[in-house]
Amino acid sequence: MQRLTRASGWGEAMRVPAILRNSSLVLGAVITLFIVFCALFAPYIATYGVNEMDMRNRFAGPSLQHWLGTDNFGRDLWSRLVFGARVSLSVGLISVGGAALIGTTVGLVAGYLRGWVDLLLMRITDIFLGFPAIVLALALIAVLGPGIFNISLALIAVFWTEYARVVRSTTLVLREQNYVQAAQALGASPLRIIFREILPNALGPIIVLASLGLGTAIIAESALSFLGFGLPPPTPTWGWTLAYGTRFIRDEPWLSIISGATIMITVLGFNLFGDGLRDILDPRQLTRSAGKK
Amino acid sequence: MKTFLLTLGTVAALALMPMQPAMAQSNDTLVVGVDVDAGTLDPRLARDTTAYRANDLIYSGLVHLTPNLEAVPDLAESWESPDPTTFIFKLRDGLTFSDGSPLTADDVVFTYETMTDPDFNSPIRSLYSPITKIEKMDDRTVKFSLSEPYAPLLSYLDIGIVPKKLVEGGRDIAAEPVGAGPMKFAEWKRGSEIVLEANPGFWGGEPTMKKVTLKLIPDNSARAQAFEAGDLNVIQSPLSPQDINRLAADDRFGNVIIPGLAVTYLNFNAGDPLLADPKMRQAFAMLVDQETIVNDIYQGADAIANAAILPSSWAYSADIKQPAFDVEGAKAKFAELGWTDSNGDGILDKDGAPLTVTIATHSEDPNRIQAVEYIQAIFTQAGIDAKTQLSDWPSFSTGYVLKGEHQIALLGWVNIVDPDRLLFSQLTTGGGRNWGGYSNPQVDELLQTGRSSLDTADRIAAYQAAATTIAEEVPYYIISYQGYQMFYDKDLPVKVEATPRGNLRGLIGLKSD
Amino acid sequence: MTAYIARRLLLLIPTALGIVVLTFGLLLLIPGDPAAVLLGENSTPESIARLRQSLGLDDPWYIRLWDYFRALLTGDMGTSIFQGQPVTEIVFGRLGATFELAIVSLILSVIIGMTLGVLAAMKQGSLIDSAAMLFAQLGISMPIYWLGLLLMLAFAVILGWLPAIGRGEPLPEAIAAALSGRPQVLMDSLSHLVLPALALAANTAAIISRLVRTSMLEVLREDFVRTAYAKGLRRPRVVIRHALRNALLPVISVIGLRFGALLGGAVLVESIFAWPGLGQLTITAISQRDLPLIQGIILTFAIIYALVNLVVDLLYAAVDPRVRLG
Repeated sequence: MQRLTRASGWGEAMRVPAILRNSSLVLGAVITLFIVFCALFAPYIATYGVNEMDMRNRFAGPSLQHWLGTDNFGRDLWSRLVFGARVSLSVGLISVGGAALIGTTVGLVAGYLRGWVDLLLMRITDIFLGFPAIVLALALIAVLGPGIFNISLALIAVFWTEYARVVRSTTLVLREQNYVQAAQALGASPLRIIFREILPNALGPIIVLASLGLGTAIIAESALSFLGFGLPPPTPTWGWTLAYGTRFIRDEPWLSIISGATIMITVLGFNLFGDGLRDILDPRQLTRSAGKK
Repeated sequence: MKTFLLTLGTVAALALMPMQPAMAQSNDTLVVGVDVDAGTLDPRLARDTTAYRANDLIYSGLVHLTPNLEAVPDLAESWESPDPTTFIFKLRDGLTFSDGSPLTADDVVFTYETMTDPDFNSPIRSLYSPITKIEKMDDRTVKFSLSEPYAPLLSYLDIGIVPKKLVEGGRDIAAEPVGAGPMKFAEWKRGSEIVLEANPGFWGGEPTMKKVTLKLIPDNSARAQAFEAGDLNVIQSPLSPQDINRLAADDRFGNVIIPGLAVTYLNFNAGDPLLADPKMRQAFAMLVDQETIVNDIYQGADAIANAAILPSSWAYSADIKQPAFDVEGAKAKFAELGWTDSNGDGILDKDGAPLTVTIATHSEDPNRIQAVEYIQAIFTQAGIDAKTQLSDWPSFSTGYVLKGEHQIALLGWVNIVDPDRLLFSQLTTGGGRNWGGYSNPQVDELLQTGRSSLDTADRIAAYQAAATTIAEEVPYYIISYQGYQMFYDKDLPVKVEATPRGNLRGLIGLKSD
Repeated sequence: MTAYIARRLLLLIPTALGIVVLTFGLLLLIPGDPAAVLLGENSTPESIARLRQSLGLDDPWYIRLWDYFRALLTGDMGTSIFQGQPVTEIVFGRLGATFELAIVSLILSVIIGMTLGVLAAMKQGSLIDSAAMLFAQLGISMPIYWLGLLLMLAFAVILGWLPAIGRGEPLPEAIAAALSGRPQVLMDSLSHLVLPALALAANTAAIISRLVRTSMLEVLREDFVRTAYAKGLRRPRVVIRHALRNALLPVISVIGLRFGALLGGAVLVESIFAWPGLGQLTITAISQRDLPLIQGIILTFAIIYALVNLVVDLLYAAVDPRVRLG
């Protein structure tokens, strides 16, 4: 081990009581599926036009016409949130996918090749890790300009280090395994070994990190909107709805509570789902490797 | 185990224990909520409202502006203007700075000479550009010479006089200011508060309030909440419209709700090919639903504007009209200009190109964001492919509007103590702040007359004529006259007198003035 | 041991250099001109150009970077464009407030997290267990600024129990005052601290509670604990002696991992509660494009993060004899 050996239990921390274990996986899956369903079929589920304003009917409470009430422009909140699921999921998927891709590649290469490549890649990881995440994201968005892809890119820059570190330490363990040594002896190329022998066995922690990362990405997107660095209006994003909601929290708490709860429940769903996945995907091996750095 | 529960219990008890609002509020202390931390307390370099407000108390200028923006004697007891390009000021007898050193004509000359020196980089230097010479006649007399008659000058001479000797001796008055105002500087905890104490040596007598604390709370809603929680005695604009209405209805608090000195407006870029034709700008302006923006988004905290002159100004006229909100009229106008929905996709087009426009503002002000979002919705309804653009203030202003890269931008002007301040460098050809590149020789001439004529009737005629042309050609579309709101604790031991600039001399119990 | 520390500190140098270069690059690309922001509404193109020149903003980037590095070697992080004071002075002036908030919120999260975790583990499968873990899940799933505003609304505005914003006397001074017979000063400081610290603690408390629960369960299942029971030791003693010590390990490592997140969260929490720390300063500096100040803040954050992690690693090795440093 290059660095400190730790038997920490990041992974274990995420485990839930046995009784809840199955039910939490189910609950997580139900919430996740529901959100995905909303995102996919938003135009059919929405009861009003997503940008349809009614300034005489701002901040209406829930009713038969408006299931969740209306927002600060009198737009139907249910329809906004349903369409907002698309944005949140897009940002979540692109940023998590990108971060996983970059981080995994870096981790695999660093862990397998070791030596100066490892040293260099880990220093780069340290640089990004030491950079205050929110400042990095804000600065990148200021440079790139807002947009789903740019915001995702900013989040990738923040998130990829986690994958790099986890995958690297998994790789360090895996490369000493018999089947990898055997492949080496048989003269397989490093690329082949990395992608055919090591990657499939390192996928478990990546998948778990990714499912937990989706929640983090959604919260991060909303925080960026809160700070005014989100997608430009009238894009229906949860972040904007909550950011507006917090402005009116004193007199019209409804908007803030509904949109905040939407984010919270969605993140909860992803986390529960991630927990469940972790238990299925051999928690022992996972936590051991995920905890080391 | 027990230990842990015990500790948790203690923490919970601590958290839940009812506690007096934390400020020790003795009766002669004024705690004012402010939205930004001051950058520098050197009045010549100050550039934020908090610094203006602190400096107004710490320093005194030659003149003081009343709530009606009239210049009245402050350090100068009188002045005369033997000819239109000369002003002679006579200082009061026996003036001192708060450290006890005498204030003389030397200090006045020093203050204005440094401020007008280009290398000093004063942000307000351009306001004094017609000044050619500042001379000391004797210890109590100063003469200003101008290159041309300059009517707004007096309203700009309230800048605080700084102590020449101290400054030249190396005192950093940006951090530890010394002035001749009613309060003196005590402490500045950056990012937190500025504390001032009464100045017994003030020429107008020691104020009733012995201590003024400017407490920084950047978020408008949080500041309102802190005021309601009793942490603050006074809060003022900028405030969220919804907070204004709630606070105004609360009988624990006194309020002052008056027209301010600021406008919120749309800057149409006349240099953009799409918007070069005044008729196009008119058509877009007809899609701005002023009433809904002002009454619903700003909840009536601001007032609907009709022209580029403030209603509180001597030059105001209610007869000047900007294009009225009329969606059908706007569509007709677009059609007249060749923009019709020829391919039936719901978006107007001309020569095969769709009518696309971007409305931009900065991301710090949720009300402006809402206004832009609302305007975008109406533009879309009228068949325009309208986009919005949001970025933080530096990107938006210096990186975008100042470079003339915008099409339609929503922003504001503040501190309009004279019509000149809103119009001259903004809308004359080649003006320093004419970011949209608007040019109309007739307007240029009118604005020049307005600035150099010393006859009020002439100035009124010039500004009204200019405002009429501007309302027609719409380089600016003034959405609203911003209101000024102040809320205060009713138990304050002074008679509250507010000014639309938000300065605080009317809250500290001055004997004269 | 000493060699290990030296090695880690040595590794900090390229990391810090990298962070300076990355920040520098970002700030080169970021739109918005500090000179124009500084001069404000009455600026003219000519006055902006003049100020840019006097601030050295028009020098080629490599010269500016080189100058920055050279100054950095002498501990000089430049001068703030807006405040005209040395960046080191400004940053150190704010550091105390942020540390105070971060440390108190860490303590809070350890107390809350361990209490919940221990409770849940001891009553495994009970309603208490489920409730504690549901609480933990919610703590992770809540946007921190939303939680902060809700706390402020409830405890400061509606109930009026705590001040909504600001900071009392710095904690060390407040404790000194309390010791010299003025406890109200300390109460005032603590009353200002509670809400922002709670908002900042929620996330970490949730993570710690889950960690503690899991590692406790693990220990409680192990043979030596069963043996201890068999020997007739009472349950609480076993828990405290064995299980808790084991639970402490992951908690320590989480503190290191979470410290960065706490500093990041401080940016949001400090803005909401008007806490005069580095987080609030960060937002101000970015909104003014105060380039030297942004540089200085980021570098400071990075160094703190690295040092805290080093301390945590050392602590970890001290607590767990199985860990080798190498």
